[in-house]
Amino acid sequence: MFVARSIAADHKDLIHDVSFDFHGRRMATCSSDQSVKVWDKSESGEWHCTASWKTHSGSVWRVTWAHPEFGQVLASCSFDRTAAVWEEIVGESNDKLRGQSHWVKRTTLVDSRTSVTDVKFAPKHMGLMLATCSADGIVRIYEAPDVMNLSQWSLQHEISCKLSCSCISWNPSSSRAHAPMIAVGSDDSSPNAMAKVQIFEYNENTRKYAKAETLLTVTDPVHDIAFAPNLGRSFHILAIATKDVRIFTLKPVRKELTSSGGPTKFEIHIVAQFDNHNSQVWRVSWNITGTVLASSGDDGCVRLWKGNSSVEELLLYVDTLEFSLRNVNSEIF
Amino acid sequence: MSGSKPDILWAPHQVDRFVVCDSELSLYHVESTVNSELKAGSLRLSEDSAATLLSINSETPYMKCVAWYLSYDPECLLAVGQANGRVVLTSLGQDHNSKFRDLIGKEFVPKHARQCNTLAWNPVDNNWLAAGLDKHRADFSVLIWDICSKYTPDIVPMEKVRLSVGETETSLLVTKPLYELGQNDACLSLCWLPRDQKLLLAGMHRNLAIFDLRNTSQKMFVNTKAVQGVTVDPYFHDRVASFYEGQVAIWDLRKFEKPVLTLTEQPKPLTKVAWCPTRTGLLATLTRDSNIIRLYDMQHTPTPIGDETEPTIIERSVQPCDNYIASFAWHPTSQNRMIVVTPNRTMSDFTVFERISLAWSPITSLMWACGRHLYECAEEENDNSLEKDIATKMRLRALSRYGLDTEQVWRNHILAGNEDPQLKSLWYTLHFMKQYTEDMDQKSPGNKGSLVYAGIKSIVKSSLGMVESSRHNWSGLDKQSDIQNLNEERILALQLCGWIKKGTDVDVGPFLNSLVQEGEWERAAAVALFNLDIRRAIQILNEGASSGKGDLNLNVVAMALSGYTDEKNSLWREMCGTLRLQLNNPYLCIMFAFLTSEAGSYDGVLYENKVAVRDRVAFACKFLSDSQLNRYIEKLTNEMKEAGNLEGILLTGLTKDGVDLMESYVDRTGDVQTASYCMLQGSPLDVLKDERVQYWIENYRNLLDAWRFWHKRAEFDIHRSKLDPSSKPLAQVFVSCNFCGKSISYSCSTVPHQGRGFSQYGVSGSPTKSKVTSCPGCRKPLPRCALCLINMGTPVSSCPGGSKSDEKVDLSKDKKLAQFNNWFTWCHNCRHGGHAGHMLSWFRDHAECPVSACTCKCMQLDTTGNLVPAETVQP
Repeated sequence: MFVARSIAADHKDLIHDVSFDFHGRRMATCSSDQSVKVWDKSESGEWHCTASWKTHSGSVWRVTWAHPEFGQVLASCSFDRTAAVWEEIVGESNDKLRGQSHWVKRTTLVDSRTSVTDVKFAPKHMGLMLATCSADGIVRIYEAPDVMNLSQWSLQHEISCKLSCSCISWNPSSSRAHAPMIAVGSDDSSPNAMAKVQIFEYNENTRKYAKAETLLTVTDPVHDIAFAPNLGRSFHILAIATKDVRIFTLKPVRKELTSSGGPTKFEIHIVAQFDNHNSQVWRVSWNITGTVLASSGDDGCVRLWKGNSSVEELLLYVDTLEFSLRNVNSEIF
Repeated sequence: MSGSKPDILWAPHQVDRFVVCDSELSLYHVESTVNSELKAGSLRLSEDSAATLLSINSETPYMKCVAWYLSYDPECLLAVGQANGRVVLTSLGQDHNSKFRDLIGKEFVPKHARQCNTLAWNPVDNNWLAAGLDKHRADFSVLIWDICSKYTPDIVPMEKVRLSVGETETSLLVTKPLYELGQNDACLSLCWLPRDQKLLLAGMHRNLAIFDLRNTSQKMFVNTKAVQGVTVDPYFHDRVASFYEGQVAIWDLRKFEKPVLTLTEQPKPLTKVAWCPTRTGLLATLTRDSNIIRLYDMQHTPTPIGDETEPTIIERSVQPCDNYIASFAWHPTSQNRMIVVTPNRTMSDFTVFERISLAWSPITSLMWACGRHLYECAEEENDNSLEKDIATKMRLRALSRYGLDTEQVWRNHILAGNEDPQLKSLWYTLHFMKQYTEDMDQKSPGNKGSLVYAGIKSIVKSSLGMVESSRHNWSGLDKQSDIQNLNEERILALQLCGWIKKGTDVDVGPFLNSLVQEGEWERAAAVALFNLDIRRAIQILNEGASSGKGDLNLNVVAMALSGYTDEKNSLWREMCGTLRLQLNNPYLCIMFAFLTSEAGSYDGVLYENKVAVRDRVAFACKFLSDSQLNRYIEKLTNEMKEAGNLEGILLTGLTKDGVDLMESYVDRTGDVQTASYCMLQGSPLDVLKDERVQYWIENYRNLLDAWRFWHKRAEFDIHRSKLDPSSKPLAQVFVSCNFCGKSISYSCSTVPHQGRGFSQYGVSGSPTKSKVTSCPGCRKPLPRCALCLINMGTPVSSCPGGSKSDEKVDLSKDKKLAQFNNWFTWCHNCRHGGHAGHMLSWFRDHAECPVSACTCKCMQLDTTGNLVPAETVQP
């Protein structure tokens, strides 16, 4: 059973994103109040806010942690058309004694002409890289060539998606058999039947990202997208939050069979489609092994989906738990 | 409204009531159905609410618009605007006794008949009612009525007439409005401004106008087409929304010249726009012929000044029902709740929830944010109602040292929780493989040892020459069966299956005894039977039935067994052949399948999937000829590979085939932990170097790191390096002498330094080494410790700064750390350092470096360094 408890977040407006660091001991939240807060977990399991600062001049949509081997680094993106990279430093004052830490802005990425809707660090084996996507439909991939100098970020790739982008997800696989890959979702709501999820793969020969796949069956606005931690599987799992929860598997067709050099071909299967939220699905998130998916929807529920391994069918997902926020929700504000 | 489209209104004070109006007014009462059944006659509104019809009022025909009286008393008073411009006060049952009964039925009549478009009660002066009318020549279109208009000159005579004649219709007519505004114009929408009770905002024919009742000759106005549905934001009194066709305009009354904002245009004309009364900046809009309510969440309070104040607008849509929506209404007090009505008067009640964002932490707790609040949700300990996820299982198994028992290999399945039959089979297989590899190596070194880990498939294939079958007598029966003569390979296979023990003895006796001890009666009986000992089988079943733990039916089965007859057409055979399919236990089932089978065809046994693979394979080794056996093993192996069934490791061993099998197991379960440990058990190097195996190991190490099980990770690495020496990392750090540049540790040890740590100088070995305080290369002294100011390489006193009395206590406590205390450490930032023990004790009380005038905060530089490994925190 899962039990929920409330934490006083003290944000002055809606919280848009929550993100854990690699170890799960630190957490960052961002809000329409234009601030980011960093939380540290004490040994007793309580969360304490150790930093809170104004990051942008607009709603902050997303916040994300870099792998700790690059230091304590956060990236945020905002309606103010920018993304920013933040680093924790040991302050001159006795911040530590007051239980507060100090974060400085290392860079502002200003290439977007519209709201930056998502930001994600690449898997660590690729080095210190991050991707942003914006409402004008462009995915930008930046790299910090010198990990000691976080103020230098060079724009490596610009991928045009033609549709307003709402979310991105890196394929976390570090296997040498899998080329770097990024999936992009669009929340474009105009009544066209265009596919809303595109997958781009890095091509070693051309040194460019090229479209590898388009999920043609997803034509409704997509609000969130998440690759599952790969964990040694021979295929990738992608969860999509649209008008329902969908889970796809992408199995690379063995390289020998395809002509080398071209983009990897995938066998794509939809393994699950749940409309239990009965409304727009807002977020999806995988646990560390990619075996339990959490989703939230406009019905005010958080639902968990778990692969049922006792059934012969590979990755059959069953609804195991759901939390209704109806009662909680009426008390707040 | 007089047409087909119903409208809907919540009662302003009695929050469980609402009215639906089309050609008549229907009052409903909302009830929660969470803890009760749906009552007869009530309409379901949502999963947990229902409505009951309280009363219907059909006294007012030609309704155009309705407004609910805002005061507490009387509660059910409504003003109805009619097609002829009259405004009628009416009520819905209940309060006929109240002092306001006079009001009911009162009519307010304009001079010229034309449609009444809108009504608005004044929120402060509750008796004032504004009505907006269509244009009629030069007449006024905005009339403000006082419903208690005492000063109507003919009110006294009217009262008299009513009492005497009872002609209520005419007696309650009011014709003199309090104010008349908007001459020579039409009024489409109205709302009172909360800033002042005398300010009225009106959507006129081609402009928005603000009338000030204190000075009716003046008005403030702005020309616009967006004149419909004017409404004030209840949380921000200067913000007003209005619409025209598909476009919503947001106005700031302080900067009234033009809209501060227009929302994206909808393809269809809008029919209603309403601010949420319980939350700031949430505007709901509805268009014609649509089943979607579009919500605009305005995140920041707009200010009239400044240019960069483009407010963030989050657009959302909700679809409360499948039908088109005729109208909707926000609940006045319930958080974000609204009710919608469709043209055919079905209603639904729902709440607009804040969007929830969520994230998993590595240790399976879920955090989500809803609105301004955070919720943490963790898996409760000691709960068995749900099968634990593999992430939790792997964590618990890592803590219980799963996979690290290399002596009693089979015990690993107990460490894994003793709950998964596949894991049990796997670890027994690996246990036997290890045992017999050692056995073989002792007998003939370097010969067949590697074959054992290659699995039964390879063992059987390697068998040379034909195996003859011979007839064996059944013990206790006058019967003979063909059994294969067991060659060396088959004996090894049987040993791996666990049927027979080490040595050349082919007796299954010990195995049967151990099965009986574990209470696996059926399995023991079947094994006994397959070894042609029907008497023992019956005996085991009897034993099982009498032990109390076993099934009493075993006696019946034993009885059936004892009736065995070899005759082909006997009744016994016939009955067993059909009834065996009804037996639940697979082992009982295959016993009868075996007894009733034709000689040489054992499909009933071999393809009974519920029987453990090892028993089936052992059976096959005993009864199948070489070619049959090879085919069967091949088939079974492919089946196991397909399914990712770990029992199949018995067949594939730790070979490429085994990796294939493990790949489908990992694909199915995500259990990289078992995959890593299994492959590290004894795979040949080329298998270990398989990209997939390396990838599983890498992923498992990454998991351990994320969980902060660093000690476990280190143990895993040590375990791994035993089999794969190339995985040992090279020495990463050397301390080199300032003068000669040589590594000071180089000449200290005779073997090249493999360096599992850093700067491990003067730690181990003979006491003479620990006294070296100078570079072994050039004999120059080593740097001094910043605290004790003695050259490095000197053994430190047990506790610096401690008084003599403390020393003895600390000596025992620090004994374990004594060697580490000698280590040479330094800060990578300021390059100051000293003995590890001295430095640690300094930083227990200080933040800054001990070297004078150095302000480096050495210990705080690395956040990860301050994290504690999770194992030490675990209970």
